[in-house]
Amino acid sequence: MVGRRWSVLLLVGALAAASVMGAAAAPAFRFDRNIKVGVVDTYSGPPAVFGNDALNGFRLALQEINRDGVHGARIEFVTRDEKFSPEIGLSMARELVLQERVDVLVGTINSATALAISAFAREQRVPFIVWISKSEAITGAKGHRYVFSTGENTAMAGKALAEAMARRGYTRFWLAAEDYEYGHAITNSFWRFMKRARPESTLVGQTWWRTGEPDLVPYLTQILQARPQAVFFGTGGAGMANVMRTMQVIGFAQRIPSAIHTAIDVTVLRPLGAAAPEGVFGTTDYLYYYPETPANRKFVQDFQAAYGSPPGFPAFHGYITGYFIAEAYRKARSLDRDRFVEALEGLRVRTPMGEVEMRGCDHQAVLPIIFGVTRRDPRFPHLVAGDPTILPGRDVMPTCEDIRRARERAQ
Amino acid sequence: MDAAAVLGQLVVGLSRAMILFIVSAGLTLILGVLRVPNVFHGSLYMLGAFVAWTVAEAVGSHPAGLWLALAAAPLVTAAVGLVLERLLLSRLYHREHLMLILFTFGVMLVLNDVVKLLWGPTYRSLVPPPSLQGAVTVLGVALPKFNLVLLVAGPLVGLSLWLFTHRTRAGRIARAAATDRDMVAVLGVDVSRVFGMAFGLGCFLAGLGGALVAPTTSITLGMDHSLLIDSFLIVIVGGLGNLWGALAGSLLFGITQSVGLLVWPQFAVAFPYAVTAAVLLVRPTGLLRSAW
Amino acid sequence: MSGRVLLGLALAALAAAPAVLPPFFVYLLALVLVTGLLATSLNLVLGYGGLYQFHHGVFYGIGAYTAAVGITRLGWPAWLAFLAGPLAAGLAGLVIGFFCVRLSRLYFGMLQLSLGSFVWIVALRWYPVTGGDNGIHGIPLPPVLQTLPGAYALVAGAVVASLAALRAVVRSPFGLTLQAIRDNPQRSEVMGVDVRAHQLAAIVLAAFFAGVAGVLYVALERSVFPSMLFWVLSLEILVMCLLGGWFTFSGPLVGAAVVVGLRTLAGRYTEYWTLMLGVLLILLIFFLPEGIMGHLQRRWNAYRALSARPATAGDVRG
Repeated sequence: MVGRRWSVLLLVGALAAASVMGAAAAPAFRFDRNIKVGVVDTYSGPPAVFGNDALNGFRLALQEINRDGVHGARIEFVTRDEKFSPEIGLSMARELVLQERVDVLVGTINSATALAISAFAREQRVPFIVWISKSEAITGAKGHRYVFSTGENTAMAGKALAEAMARRGYTRFWLAAEDYEYGHAITNSFWRFMKRARPESTLVGQTWWRTGEPDLVPYLTQILQARPQAVFFGTGGAGMANVMRTMQVIGFAQRIPSAIHTAIDVTVLRPLGAAAPEGVFGTTDYLYYYPETPANRKFVQDFQAAYGSPPGFPAFHGYITGYFIAEAYRKARSLDRDRFVEALEGLRVRTPMGEVEMRGCDHQAVLPIIFGVTRRDPRFPHLVAGDPTILPGRDVMPTCEDIRRARERAQ
Repeated sequence: MDAAAVLGQLVVGLSRAMILFIVSAGLTLILGVLRVPNVFHGSLYMLGAFVAWTVAEAVGSHPAGLWLALAAAPLVTAAVGLVLERLLLSRLYHREHLMLILFTFGVMLVLNDVVKLLWGPTYRSLVPPPSLQGAVTVLGVALPKFNLVLLVAGPLVGLSLWLFTHRTRAGRIARAAATDRDMVAVLGVDVSRVFGMAFGLGCFLAGLGGALVAPTTSITLGMDHSLLIDSFLIVIVGGLGNLWGALAGSLLFGITQSVGLLVWPQFAVAFPYAVTAAVLLVRPTGLLRSAW
Repeated sequence: MSGRVLLGLALAALAAAPAVLPPFFVYLLALVLVTGLLATSLNLVLGYGGLYQFHHGVFYGIGAYTAAVGITRLGWPAWLAFLAGPLAAGLAGLVIGFFCVRLSRLYFGMLQLSLGSFVWIVALRWYPVTGGDNGIHGIPLPPVLQTLPGAYALVAGAVVASLAALRAVVRSPFGLTLQAIRDNPQRSEVMGVDVRAHQLAAIVLAAFFAGVAGVLYVALERSVFPSMLFWVLSLEILVMCLLGGWFTFSGPLVGAAVVVGLRTLAGRYTEYWTLMLGVLLILLIFFLPEGIMGHLQRRWNAYRALSARPATAGDVRG
């Protein structure tokens, strides 16, 4: 009997040793080809500053990632210019998926394009990561298994801005926005949260103009004459420059407090230079000069060295998108699109703004929102965010329950 | 909505109308004399804005920079137009009318991409000299100071054009050619030279419009699009080839939109189009007598 | 004879395409067919009617938007929406055409341009109904149309049927009268032809088929965009007609194939597609104003004329 027990132990021990040695000697897992990413964004006209910024951030991430690769594979990418048109963007996405056979689609600044491509991605079962567009419908009511967002959305920004304005005691508002998906989304979100924070708020009036409308003077002068307590502008990539410039010329923000999402972002303020207005309340989810953590400082240094100027929020999103893609493939150990999607859900990556999670229930990255007011600072060649405060992502994001209900309602 | 508000919006709309007038005057001149709807008129406007920016940047912060830009840009666009007309367009005069129109469309496509090639896809800002920055309060409305320049430039251009077409020999010949080119040819005038002059002048005005608008807006690709359709509609509403018509149409456009904002902010931008359609349904040849 | 053989081959190729070509090219072929129908419908009034139809895209857009709005906002079933589109477009053709035929050439084009622009700006601003700047996308369609082969089958079938109908119109007495009016309106009038009625009928027909093209676009793309109503598209269709040959029936289709093909190909390698199109157009105007098919037809006719002569010694054939 004793002999038998010893021989069993010996057998088990031998097997264990063999498997350990076997594992150590087995070859490391490798992908058999490179990973191909298709980027659709706007590279012409005023929104091009955002598109280029995001691409630069993405490229920087890929440079770092491709040094060691992902299981031996490099991440490559191709770009297509959608010229801020959903029609062109959709056909570009189609070409990238059907012709170029990309593994992942990435883009874009135009929220309408993002929604159009998202519908296509769902049909084709191709993962699509949105990195600048902010309409909350992207991961909210119109979200699905294959679409992700690495940028903040209008629900988060609207809530942050509304609560900040409510704290300051404003209740009589004028809403002015661009008549397209993003304009409607951010304005609705702001007003929704404003009514929640201060139910007694009233709407003095609203104006909607065409995206990229060149002459905003008559619109702004008309709003001045209506004399609201404060104004919320729902303008995005194509219209920000004109709104900010016109506000500065007629001294709008000095006469009436104004709030705009991304007003404090450097991608918006830098090209305007001296033509940027002071005293505008704004939000963004990334600033290169605040907070000054070591991770942020390193990112800014590398970015500046590579591209000559500091990064804005699109670059930050592009950068973390690169890392999300790499880490998801690393975890999935497969080039299969569904494995990639599953790996990406709930994934956390380390970013210049700390650890960011890709929330599983809606595929929305949990990002903080920074609130500030535009102000001149002699240390910088552009306006900066004065008195900045940070709201953590989970305080401003809709709950998973909200998302579930929104998607149900949309069916 | 009180009287002050209306007056204020009126003034704002007026300054926008001046740009429209300058560009439309050029378009209607070309249309009247050559009978060609110049589809690349908007591209020249855009080119004028970009050239103005380049000149102003090159000169730097010297206050004369803007004035130099305002002088240089129209000359560049006039040159471009003249070269195209002399070398290419003039060879098509004997051809089908449609070919002329399609040719100008082709040039528009080329010019737009040439601008993209030369200046890249990002937008530019032209800041006016410090004396013209900021705003003044006119009739209770905050009007950008530079818009005052527009309010002066418009009538100046209009007056110069009127003097030219009514008091100079060349101008009167142009008017005659617009009405009856065969008769003018019979009288021994080189009609082709008249065409060239009219075309060059029209292109000059397009560039001037672009240069004047440059300090007030983002200078960007695509700025020609809405302006082209607006100026075409203005020319049609005013009467093809009629300079006063271009003025009337521009005023209509600029003012219906800015005052319309007080009435129906949502739909105000469609007011000019609605009014245009209404006018044309009643008087298809335009408000004022057309040149032909 | 050989025309019939060619046609038969073409139809067979169309039918075989989804089985033979990769999906992207099937999609591209469908797009070419839709655009070709649009261009051919324009050519009914442009080439055969001699009218300056500067804003034909309006009817295309109206057809597409009617279907899209019908399905997404009014809850219509797809077949109803697809029927309503061309009808709405035809109605628009009647209204717009009514005002335009009263005018001479250039004014006709200009008025159409302005009325069309008004439609465009309404679509652009009426956000709750038309989706404004975004347009409408992700339009729900019956499951059979949601697959590429299914959509392609609808597109190919409808386009072939429409082209057959248009060809019949062009060869009918109505079509011949239309061409007579194009060549000499005064003489036609003197001979008792109601010029305006014919022209208006042609516009309505052209608008109807443009609406068909619009509805087919919805079936293919499941989206509509305000750019369908913008004047630049209308000019692009004009270019296709010119490129292909606007005095021939198949010219616009060829032109559409070339433009769509070039645009897709060019988009992969260059950002300057518009530059290429512009240069192509200018070259066409100077060197090939009759278009590809026009040129080929002239060569073919000359060849036929040559080979019809009785052979004599020293004749060089071909």
